[in-house]
Amino acid sequence: MAAQSGAKRHTFWEILQRIDRRWIYLVVWLVVMVPLIKPFPVKPVASPPVQQMFNYIDTMPEDKALLISVDYSPDTQAELHPMTIALLRHAFATRRRVGLVATYVYGLGLAEDALREVKREFDSVATSHEDSIISGEDFVFWGWTTPLLTMMLGMGEKITNVFPVDYYGARTESLPMTRHVKNYNDVGILVSIAGSSMPISWVAYAQTQFGLRIGCGTTAVSAADFYTYLNSGQFTGMLAGMRGAAEYEELVREKMAQMDMNWHVRNRGTEAMSSQTAAHIAIILFIIVGNIGYFATRRRKS
Amino acid sequence: MKRKLPLLIVLVTGIFGVLTYIIPHPVVQTTDSVIRNDILRIIGAFSLVLGIGSILRHHFIKIKRKSENWGYSWITVVALFVSAVIGLFGGIDPTRPGILPTHIGGFSFHIQSLFTGLIVPLGSTMFALLAFFMASASYRAFRARNFEATLLLISAFILMLGAMPLTRLLVKELPSFAEWILAVPNTAAKRGIGFGISLGILATSLKIILGIERGWLGGGE
Repeated sequence: MAAQSGAKRHTFWEILQRIDRRWIYLVVWLVVMVPLIKPFPVKPVASPPVQQMFNYIDTMPEDKALLISVDYSPDTQAELHPMTIALLRHAFATRRRVGLVATYVYGLGLAEDALREVKREFDSVATSHEDSIISGEDFVFWGWTTPLLTMMLGMGEKITNVFPVDYYGARTESLPMTRHVKNYNDVGILVSIAGSSMPISWVAYAQTQFGLRIGCGTTAVSAADFYTYLNSGQFTGMLAGMRGAAEYEELVREKMAQMDMNWHVRNRGTEAMSSQTAAHIAIILFIIVGNIGYFATRRRKS
Repeated sequence: MKRKLPLLIVLVTGIFGVLTYIIPHPVVQTTDSVIRNDILRIIGAFSLVLGIGSILRHHFIKIKRKSENWGYSWITVVALFVSAVIGLFGGIDPTRPGILPTHIGGFSFHIQSLFTGLIVPLGSTMFALLAFFMASASYRAFRARNFEATLLLISAFILMLGAMPLTRLLVKELPSFAEWILAVPNTAAKRGIGFGISLGILATSLKIILGIERGWLGGGE
């Protein structure tokens, strides 16, 4: 009897239903890795929320600063870090002043990394002091402080009260940029780049109390939560996931090309899009095959 | 007194917090500013001490009792002290040195080097594992078993296809349709959920301020 059941033959679909998960892991690994090593060309086209954010930053008054709140940690870095870099590139290319804060301690290292990369890009082609990106003049990295409520509300009154020294230990009162950026009145837009609900906290405290314009960069999985804020106009724009990052990178690339800033930069969001596309196709195929197998075996059983 | 005093503080500060939004008098606004900018920060500093003390106590007890995986507790304690010392005295990176030497030849162990060399790869690796679990789950569990599941499946398909730049070449309207799903049906559902959550938060906050909900006090009667 045991021999008989052991000899029972499984159909192709039944075998597929019982496939070892390690085969699935191998396929995922391949479809992610191969396009990363040898990417296929992908040209992102900006979706309305991305275009909206780009247009606002591009056309905001010159005396207004861009504030970037680095509200993510290394786990969501792959999706969100390209956004920070693209925003910094856009701001520095159009000579906007930039302020950076971090609401998590982990954000400090990531903000520093992004700043360093973009500063190096611009400084490598700079021919004069004016072309260079200088800490305290073109940007201030205020760093991190606690508690959150004190920071978000306090910055609306006087930023130097909340951050007496910047991340590098310089007295913020003595920085040239402080003459121009004193509180939220001098800020055009704050973009919160987060893998959490932090952009909503910025809306609740900084926007509701001080009328600060808020933009949002978020992971693809969190984007659905934020569409209510986008529709109501509380968010001026939104970059959602790797796709949002790639679309913004493309807009910045086009803008910089118009301004004859054609030096080579790495657009990591765009580079990763081919990998993400391949992974999406693989997952869609997994679902289709899994469902065909499910219905085939169910019919056989019934 | 031990229970009444915290309840009284919560009652007074809770009601005062609401009043600051509706009373623009300078006395109320100045008091609010002092509470936010000074008192909250002092409390925050105490919570840091409390947090470090708590984590050290927890891990030292594990080490002392040789509980399961007690070896990892040593890693936590050593990492805490090493990163604190380097962060406080070692400087941010080679261009901004601190008072401690934090590089040996070309090998740097500044706080930024530790962050990019350790925290970033560890965090990214943990999150990257999700891709494998998601793929496996989509193959095994994402089935069109009933009408609701089928609806979910179709929406997921459209959103995934809409996120691919390549599909624009095949069906031009697909990305716009995916955007519409997120902006209209998704938003409608989220708004309903949001209202429910907000009303729940409001009710719970009132219960805490008025001393009806006392779970936050800890312990039991």
